[in-house]
Amino acid sequence: MKRIITILILAFTLALNAQSNFEKGMQKAFKLWEDNKLNEAEQFFERIAAAEPDEWLPNYYVAQINSIKSWNENDLEVVNAQLTKAQDYLNNAMAISKDNYNILVMQAQIYTNWIALDGRTYGMKYSAKVTELYNQAYALAPVNPMVILSRADWNMGSARYFGQDTKPFCKDVEKALALFEDFKPELFHPNWGRRRAAEILESCNK
Amino acid sequence: MLSIPLMAQTIISGIVTDIKGLPIAGANIYLQGTYDGSTSNDSGQFYFSTDETGDKTLIVSFLSFETFELTTQVTVMNKLEIKLREDVNTIDAVILSAGTFSAGDNSKVSVLKALDVVTTASALGDFVGALQTLPGTTTVAEDGRLFVRGGEAEETQIFIDGIRVFTPYSPTTNNIPTRGRYSPFLFDGITFSTGGYSAEYGQALSSVLLLNTIDEPDQNKTDIGIMSVGATLGNTQKWNKSSLSVNASYTNLAPYLLLFEDRNDWQKPFEGASGELVFRQKFNSGLLKLYAAFDATNFELIQEDINIVEGVKFKLNNNNLYFNGSYKGVLSDNWSMSSGLSYTYANNKLGIIDNAIDNTENSFHAKVVFKRRFNNRFKLNVGTEYFATKFNELFESSAIQQTPLRFDNNISAVFTEADLVFSKKMAMKAGIRAEYSEIFKQFTVAPRISIAYKTDKNSQISLAYGDFFQQPNNDILKFNQDLESQQTSHYILNYQYNWDGMIFRAEAYFKDYQHLVKFNTDFPAFNSEFNNLGDGYSKGIDLFWRDNKSVKNLDYWVSYSYLDTERDYRNFPSAAVPSFVNNHNFSVVGKYWIDSFKSQVGLSYAYATGRTYTNPNEVGFLNATTKPFNNLSLNWAYLLSPQKILYFSVNNALGTRNINGYQYSDTPDVNGNFNRRALRPAADQFFFIGFFWTISEKGTDNQLNNL
Repeated sequence: MKRIITILILAFTLALNAQSNFEKGMQKAFKLWEDNKLNEAEQFFERIAAAEPDEWLPNYYVAQINSIKSWNENDLEVVNAQLTKAQDYLNNAMAISKDNYNILVMQAQIYTNWIALDGRTYGMKYSAKVTELYNQAYALAPVNPMVILSRADWNMGSARYFGQDTKPFCKDVEKALALFEDFKPELFHPNWGRRRAAEILESCNK
Repeated sequence: MLSIPLMAQTIISGIVTDIKGLPIAGANIYLQGTYDGSTSNDSGQFYFSTDETGDKTLIVSFLSFETFELTTQVTVMNKLEIKLREDVNTIDAVILSAGTFSAGDNSKVSVLKALDVVTTASALGDFVGALQTLPGTTTVAEDGRLFVRGGEAEETQIFIDGIRVFTPYSPTTNNIPTRGRYSPFLFDGITFSTGGYSAEYGQALSSVLLLNTIDEPDQNKTDIGIMSVGATLGNTQKWNKSSLSVNASYTNLAPYLLLFEDRNDWQKPFEGASGELVFRQKFNSGLLKLYAAFDATNFELIQEDINIVEGVKFKLNNNNLYFNGSYKGVLSDNWSMSSGLSYTYANNKLGIIDNAIDNTENSFHAKVVFKRRFNNRFKLNVGTEYFATKFNELFESSAIQQTPLRFDNNISAVFTEADLVFSKKMAMKAGIRAEYSEIFKQFTVAPRISIAYKTDKNSQISLAYGDFFQQPNNDILKFNQDLESQQTSHYILNYQYNWDGMIFRAEAYFKDYQHLVKFNTDFPAFNSEFNNLGDGYSKGIDLFWRDNKSVKNLDYWVSYSYLDTERDYRNFPSAAVPSFVNNHNFSVVGKYWIDSFKSQVGLSYAYATGRTYTNPNEVGFLNATTKPFNNLSLNWAYLLSPQKILYFSVNNALGTRNINGYQYSDTPDVNGNFNRRALRPAADQFFFIGFFWTISEKGTDNQLNNL
């Protein structure tokens, strides 16, 4: 009996320990990111992703960091490798968490990066998909400010390309900005876009 | 007791370099399943401590390199020297390019993008038309099919999702070019190989065209097209794991011919109706695709003929059904499989003068391929396939009632192929294909090999060799089945240079034809004597240049082919240059996007030297050459809104009066001269206007990629 209790306690402690390990790990990774150590943060997320096969968040952040890194990269081959890596990790995240609007938005952003890289090749292939992804995400989370903002941002880009009025989407950005006020995502969940929303709204009011 | 091992810390250290020993900075080193790890510094060194004990797996990963794994006692993981191998699957790795043009997204590999296939001015929405702007093809404007490197059109085989299409072209008659039967709407991957292709493909002497249907459509939508020659309607529905696309089109040339009369005397202008359907179902580890196409065409006309004053009356009714089902799936970590089958039913009812011909072909193809991936550098394919054809023809005329012509043609084949990647610089594909033909009781073995070597960052050379077998076509087999397979060997040397949006390819080849079918009458007939004693050769150089970067919004490509070929086959008295051959082919395609007008304007120009014909007024066979061929085509696509496109095109804008050949009178006139008639296209020019509208919930998709 004593033995069983010991094992139970041990198992429980280990479980708690694993939980806090994940939290500690994520905190450390975010700290590295805040300190602008982007590569170290990315690698830390990779380690967490490898150690925690049921967590989509570390996979999501590896994808996001690679997506962000590709913006400032000029070497086509490196961009290609980065976006491929982003896609690989996002695929992992997708396999862990189904119908996740955060992942759908990130997928749309990775496709948008491909379009930005080579519009002639990827524009036709991905632009309809991006629209579809934002619509799916919106159906899942109609009051999430990140979803509303990203969708409006994309729609404004499309409208601008076709010489149409971008104003109708300004009210979406406004709405997103208002929703950001009370936006409290779960621990470690994606939380970005306030600055972008403010920027867009500023251009709307010009 | 428990806490002691937990507290003990082990130091893990080492250095990460590439194969040459140069340090790799920024590599990620960690113990699998833990958070313990570090990043290598500028000199490749790393150092970290861990509480773990016993056997653990150390992972070392870095972008564009293969991930390294080491499983051992953590206590011995110090002063490690880790060499990472380059990832051979990256975009800058060598590719096997001899003979192959791929249209896809991988900008490094593809020469044409899927979109190009349908935005080429001279193509009029037919993807075969777009491929005719690539080097290695010859200009046979009145035919419309692909003639590759001195080969006849039938030497090119078309495959959809890996499965053969037995009757890819709409049937037509002399001097009216045919079109590919299948709409470009439904395909997203096109590979056109002009030689040296994989052992997976057989029964093609010269070339294969591989078309892949779209795996997953983007969204629910309806496409409407209204054209000067007919209308199309398409609809796509998406569900969670499956999707369905249907596409129907109707073509009628009557209104057009009222406005622009051509040289034929149409009794009943060309009319065609076709429907296509693609259904896709995703499973946990595989994808099932079903593709079905039906089309019916009919027309009736009287064509001029120098020997028949009242002209030749020609009538055609064709019904064609094609069904193709394929499944691709993953079996385990290292095994995957693809399989498929197709069924073709083709019926042609022809009336020529007062003769009636009614023929039916039923064909079946089944194939299964297993793929074993040993690692990134070694993959092996093994497959088997079976082709069965039943052909039946009835011929009736006022004079004779012929006994039906029929034959069964069954072929079984096995093939295997290995893909070896030695390094990022060198790769090889080697395969072998064995076929057994029941009709000829003949067994053939065809080796194929291709090697590529990257000479520097932007260029590579490839070599390919292969043997190819193909049976004579139905027009011969229906009269005689006591023959054997025709054969070619291909030798190809390819050089490719890629540089930021520019691509240059040069390819030299030699083809050796053996066992071509010969006969001793004007056309294959009952009374012909057939044998396999024909032969021939073909050699040449193909050049290709494409650039979409130098001038903003301009994308263009230039192709040039030099072809030297002679063959002694059919009823040739000796080796000669066949009449479908041009020695020099040159073509330019340009597309320019004008942002302020939301328009894409396109141009394509083709020049080909003359083709041979026999002038009976002089001694010899195929002893004369026509004047060169010229064609300048223009198109303009205008985006009215993101979903509405207006499209104009004009084929042969300059109205050049091209001559495809001559027909001579059977008997000389009073002066002893054989008179002739120039074979000219039915119309010198062709105009096309279309309006395309996509209705989707999202409002951003359009049919620009369908034009």
